Amino acid sequence: MSYFVVGYYALLIGLSCLAAYYKQRTPFMLLFSLTLASFIMGIIGGVSALWTVTLAAGALALAAGTSYAFREFLVIILPRETAKEIKTAPLTASFGMFVIFTYAIAGIFAPIIAPHGESQVIASAFAPPDETMLLGADQLGRDMFSRIIFGARNSVGLALIATLLAFFMGAIGGLFAATKGGWFDQLLGRIADVIMSVPSLIFALLILSIFGTNLAVIVVVVAVIYSPRVFRLSRAVAGNVVVMDYIEAAKLRGEGTWYLIRREILPNSTAPLIAEFGLEFCFVFLLIAGLSFLGLGIQPPTADWGSMVRENATLISFGDMTPLIPAAAIALLTVSVNFVVDWMLYRSSGLKE
Amino acid sequence: MGDILRLVARRLGLGVVTLFVVSILIFFAVELLPGDIAEAVLGQSATQETVAAMREQLGLDRPAPVRYVEWLSGAVQGDFGVSLVSGERVSAAIGPRFRNTLFLAAYAAVIAVPLAIILGIIVALLRNTVFDRVANVLTLTSISSPEFFLGYILILYLSVKTSMFPAIASLSHGMSFGDLLYRSFLPALTLVLVVTAHMMRMTRAAIINLLASPYIEMARLKGVPPWKVIVRHALPNAWAPIINVVALNLAYLITGVVLVEVVFVYPGVGQLLVDAVSKRDFPVVQACCLIFAATFILLNLAADVGSILTNPRLRHPK
Repeated sequence: MSYFVVGYYALLIGLSCLAAYYKQRTPFMLLFSLTLASFIMGIIGGVSALWTVTLAAGALALAAGTSYAFREFLVIILPRETAKEIKTAPLTASFGMFVIFTYAIAGIFAPIIAPHGESQVIASAFAPPDETMLLGADQLGRDMFSRIIFGARNSVGLALIATLLAFFMGAIGGLFAATKGGWFDQLLGRIADVIMSVPSLIFALLILSIFGTNLAVIVVVVAVIYSPRVFRLSRAVAGNVVVMDYIEAAKLRGEGTWYLIRREILPNSTAPLIAEFGLEFCFVFLLIAGLSFLGLGIQPPTADWGSMVRENATLISFGDMTPLIPAAAIALLTVSVNFVVDWMLYRSSGLKE
Repeated sequence: MGDILRLVARRLGLGVVTLFVVSILIFFAVELLPGDIAEAVLGQSATQETVAAMREQLGLDRPAPVRYVEWLSGAVQGDFGVSLVSGERVSAAIGPRFRNTLFLAAYAAVIAVPLAIILGIIVALLRNTVFDRVANVLTLTSISSPEFFLGYILILYLSVKTSMFPAIASLSHGMSFGDLLYRSFLPALTLVLVVTAHMMRMTRAAIINLLASPYIEMARLKGVPPWKVIVRHALPNAWAPIINVVALNLAYLITGVVLVEVVFVYPGVGQLLVDAVSKRDFPVVQACCLIFAATFILLNLAADVGSILTNPRLRHPK
């Protein structure tokens, strides 16, 4: 029984008692169930498991603190109207915004932040970390840290382009289908059905086997695969708007389809479309990461998170976690986007489940 | 009863049409190749004669629709032609691998389905408490992580650091069932983590949706005990969405399997597909795609038929 274990339990039990005394039900339940869970984990995993819990709690507290501070920061610098809305954002959403912000900075200023070039060989293969290389070298002796930073630009950038294209195709198709109706609507709907009836990864693999793997093909294929989702959503959303009286009025005024879409329908269906954009980005990002991991996405020597995991996977069998960092970067970004989207959906739907 | 049969038959018919269209898509996608298969496989350096010989061998001189009909009638009987790389029969390569993949998916499903439904119902009952929030964040994280991330984390902690399970799922023929379960535990667990998270969220949403309906409130107000509200009033109506959720996630399992198989070097169809794509072995790619797509479509079909059978309201379209 070390001091750490005694202190650990004393702190947890003390805090739960305090929470119970001040009738704080939620923190009490959280703290006390953590104590009970620690008993089990401590028996199975020993002191190291308790250390893991402590570290996780510390990381969580740090994340919560950062997101709180970031939210306050946004509230201060943004104009009043936006600030009011940001103020109501839950901590998860502001954490998501913080992460997205960080990734954006890393991606935009990659050449300045990264200490070495993207495909610059500076050490021997799998060299351990030292002063110049924060995370050591990869399988060819390139700096891992720099490659992760450049990966933020390449992987996220590609996913963003593909999402934009998918969104553009899907939204335009959906809006036109909703306003025109008739055979055009039917045709697009059936095409969307067929695309959605094939699993996305399988579809992508089929097309990539035919056209080979280059960036343009990947972007187009991924955009085509995910555009039916946007198509269906924007068609449904626009369908609700099209039956409104002001659309009828605009039609009687003699406005064309394009005017209707641009000036009448689009402004009234932005909220769900923006949320869908976030979700869509997650799917696209994960699909591209999966393809890269399979060696069929972004090709070397371009730094990319998916392929970095694959290339350095051998390190894992030596108990080294470095190859997991790019994978964690992928997961962190998708989680963050999901957090923000969750909040936006909640806000726009006004749902109180 | 005739109503149900007609609805199910119509849905099945639609499924067959979808399968047919997808098979056309898979076959004619290869026809989009710049040049043709022979030129693509033999590459730039091939002479006129070798290309011509290969065309002859593959029967490329005949029109595409004729070849499509032959391919499809072969595929229906389990004959997918000959691999371009190894020269073996594609069906011989796929057969045992398909069994492995089904085994892995079934293994994951047997654990994930009951677990996810029970957890989903619990979380739905505890909605808006701390546990619900924590479960929400955890499941969201699990869904957002790429499968290979979860897979490698499991390898790192359960295989490298504690050496409880093998990191590489090498299956051989005469293995006992227990050994098989042990060897493929980590890939199955990875799938379980992802699928359970998906299924839990969907079950939770379905149950919460149900619990918000007026008749549940009525039951509560007239003093029915909470467990009885769930078992007698909510559950009979919850079967339809739950069956739907299960079938949709099994369909998801089919695609998730590809990445997981590659991570754990599991000898399944997914791995074969990825190899074939990088070697541009078109008959194998087509066969694997057709199998995956067909399974996906069939499971979606099962979801729809299941919800038609369990939800009387769907039988009377307005």
